[in-house]
Amino acid sequence: MSDQLRFDHTVLPNGLTVIGEHNPRAQSAAVGYMVHAGSRDETPDIAGVSHFLEHMMFKGNERLSADDINRTFDELGADYNAYTSEERTVYYGAVPADRAGALLDLLSELMRPSLRQEDFDMEKKVILEEIAMYQDRPAQRLFELANERFWNGHPLGNSVLGSKESVGGLQQSAMRAYFEQRYAPGNVCLVLAGNYQWNELLERAEAATAGWRDYEVSREKNAPLHKAGYDSVADATLNRRHTALFAPGLAVEDPQRFAASILANAIGDGSGSRLYWELVDKGLTDSAWLSHESSEGAGAFVGYLSADPGRADEVLKRFKGVLAEVQQGGISAEEWRRSQRKIATSLTFRAETPLGRLMSFGTYFQTLGSYMSVNEMVEQVMSTPPEAGAEILAERPFDASFVMSLGPG
Amino acid sequence: MPSDPNATPVPFDVTLSNGLRVLYEPMPWLPTLSVTLLMPFGSATDPAEREGSANVLHEWLQRGAGDLGSRAFSDAFEDLGIRRGGGAGRETSTLGLGFLAADAAKALPLLADMVLRPRFEDNEFEPAVELAREELRSLEDAPTQRLFEALTRVFLASPQRRSALGTPEGLAALTEAGVRTDAADRVGPRGSILALAGGSTWEQLLPIIEAAFGEWEGNSLPIPEPEVAATGVHHVPAETSQLQLGLAYPSAQVGTDEGYLYSLALNVLSGSMGARLFTEIREKRGLVYSVSAGTRALRGLGYTLGYAGTTTERAAETLQVFLAELERLAEGVTADELERSRTGLLSSVVMRGESSGATAGRLASDAYFLGRARTLAEVNRKIEQATLQQVNDYLAANPVPPPTIVTLGQLPEGGLGVPAAAAAEGLA
Repeated sequence: MSDQLRFDHTVLPNGLTVIGEHNPRAQSAAVGYMVHAGSRDETPDIAGVSHFLEHMMFKGNERLSADDINRTFDELGADYNAYTSEERTVYYGAVPADRAGALLDLLSELMRPSLRQEDFDMEKKVILEEIAMYQDRPAQRLFELANERFWNGHPLGNSVLGSKESVGGLQQSAMRAYFEQRYAPGNVCLVLAGNYQWNELLERAEAATAGWRDYEVSREKNAPLHKAGYDSVADATLNRRHTALFAPGLAVEDPQRFAASILANAIGDGSGSRLYWELVDKGLTDSAWLSHESSEGAGAFVGYLSADPGRADEVLKRFKGVLAEVQQGGISAEEWRRSQRKIATSLTFRAETPLGRLMSFGTYFQTLGSYMSVNEMVEQVMSTPPEAGAEILAERPFDASFVMSLGPG
Repeated sequence: MPSDPNATPVPFDVTLSNGLRVLYEPMPWLPTLSVTLLMPFGSATDPAEREGSANVLHEWLQRGAGDLGSRAFSDAFEDLGIRRGGGAGRETSTLGLGFLAADAAKALPLLADMVLRPRFEDNEFEPAVELAREELRSLEDAPTQRLFEALTRVFLASPQRRSALGTPEGLAALTEAGVRTDAADRVGPRGSILALAGGSTWEQLLPIIEAAFGEWEGNSLPIPEPEVAATGVHHVPAETSQLQLGLAYPSAQVGTDEGYLYSLALNVLSGSMGARLFTEIREKRGLVYSVSAGTRALRGLGYTLGYAGTTTERAAETLQVFLAELERLAEGVTADELERSRTGLLSSVVMRGESSGATAGRLASDAYFLGRARTLAEVNRKIEQATLQQVNDYLAANPVPPPTIVTLGQLPEGGLGVPAAAAAEGLA
């Protein structure tokens, strides 16, 4: 299918990068603004501002009210949303192909919000409800706590949501200042995917963003000094012991990061992995997994385990035992090949829709500055040799694990 | 890909001589193939006192088949990089696969082995039961899922009210011999549906399917008629940070003429961030992060589930506004609202039509609920043809009935402003 795909790329005079993967066989088109601003760019006094700002972007400007924005998305039949991570904030939508231009215009309006005080006050209540919702999801709560401790002062440990206190105390003026520091066109990538008209969309993007003023934005990428060891938090209202495990991994710039993903899949995929056979197959837990997450300048292996408190110690011991065994003895060529194929299948399925593609190649381009088609990505995964996994294990990453539990005590 | 809706391929639809219904929608531009095998066994037909039998049976099926033990069987899927999914449900259970279309001749026989030649080894039984127990225990720390289990248990009167996960007592009563007998009673081709979508051809797939599934024998049990219980208001005490609020009421079945009218109206209520619930409860009042209403289906019964999560002190107002919006539907929707709703539904048809997994799922559920697979052209036509008059006449004649309400968490001191929220036994 990739023989028909075309990669489009330009940088507008104001510094905005525009990229696209055109697929003439798609029926829909997806449009997204990827802003290189996330919780890692926050200072403690404004913790949660990136995510709160993401909500506020839908509240409109002097031309459009929040109602106008919601209604226009509906008039376009758009499947749309936004998300905030440590690395970036993304505003995106997908529509039947003939409405891509109108969707782009609407998203461009979103990108220059008024951030009105009354909207700010109302939306703060919504964010506080969102924080309360995650309080009722022990795994999410645990990962917030464990992430912060593992990164040990490094900005990748910042919470995306922020806390009740930090969000509660946030001022609208601080949000405006943050917006003005980070939403420069040079720090944003406009991404298109599917069956769009490049010339038309480019013209619309130029017209909509002509008034955007560019300025310099930078991001700190200090090397982390990870915490290792064990921590726990007791909560008598819980019925399970939830455990998170972090270990040093590979940065997104590291050419061996594909090997880290294959390795994590072989150890901790939801089916057929070492952890699956040791724990889930035996009925010792319904959830035990390990994955690898690459961020700019640093990465981590991230694992999770849910267990009945009565046998949580034993189950955790087995979990760690699997990691130690793999670190010592490696994984077989067969296991490596299976994980390669599973990841390839997953990438191929994700590429079925323009929105799926937008997320894949858009984040890749924004981080690394180059385009990778799904076939090239599959080829990268399939050609990564098991020796690359062995090299990662030779560094003994799991010796430096940080483990944290949240449970009834 | 054809852009003319009239050129959209009609799904292929045949029933093999053993009763297995096979549907396929070609998506020739894709390198992938998605498969859903839907079988008519679930918690609603679990043997008496054996709630959870379907769940354990579904797990045991996957632990070895034909010549291959559990590990080797799983490896055979993994060797092809196959994505596996599915689960046990209330009326039906599914096994799902996703793989490269070129591997169909290897992947489909593996799926067939699971249902034709399961090994049901004794030593795989206890781990399968223990895994089901673990799922039940994990539910205890998942308030929203607990809410919906509790809500369905009081909303329905028929056996569909049982959780697909089973109960601790039901799981404790299961035996190897009992579940083997259960499999003989319930895992068969008659009433089962094999739905496929993706980048293959019918000419390639049909012989593979006939060879793999043609010899499948086995029985099926009739699924009981779904029945709604008397409306009630219930509370499950729990120490949570938000009060979980759920409501349920019977509504038109998706895919019927009335179902299209109701879907258009429900989309006005809850289809997007511009919809009434989101606007009134979140945008104007900031009461919640999450609020929604969506349809569910059992065979012969459509129903709607509503949800809001809010802190205790805002719960009464949230419920009040939610109920007022349900009541207001009877007054009808505006022409603008209907057009936006219609655009949204038509557009989601296009976008779901790009995904092989969503397409296979649609074929399977159409065949199960409607007895036939709709073409996309038909779905589009029904959505396009509904008039404002029809939608509003329908809403006036079918006001939303008083819903069954379940809350989970900590009730406000002044109550919720609805008839006494009695603690319902057996809900916690």
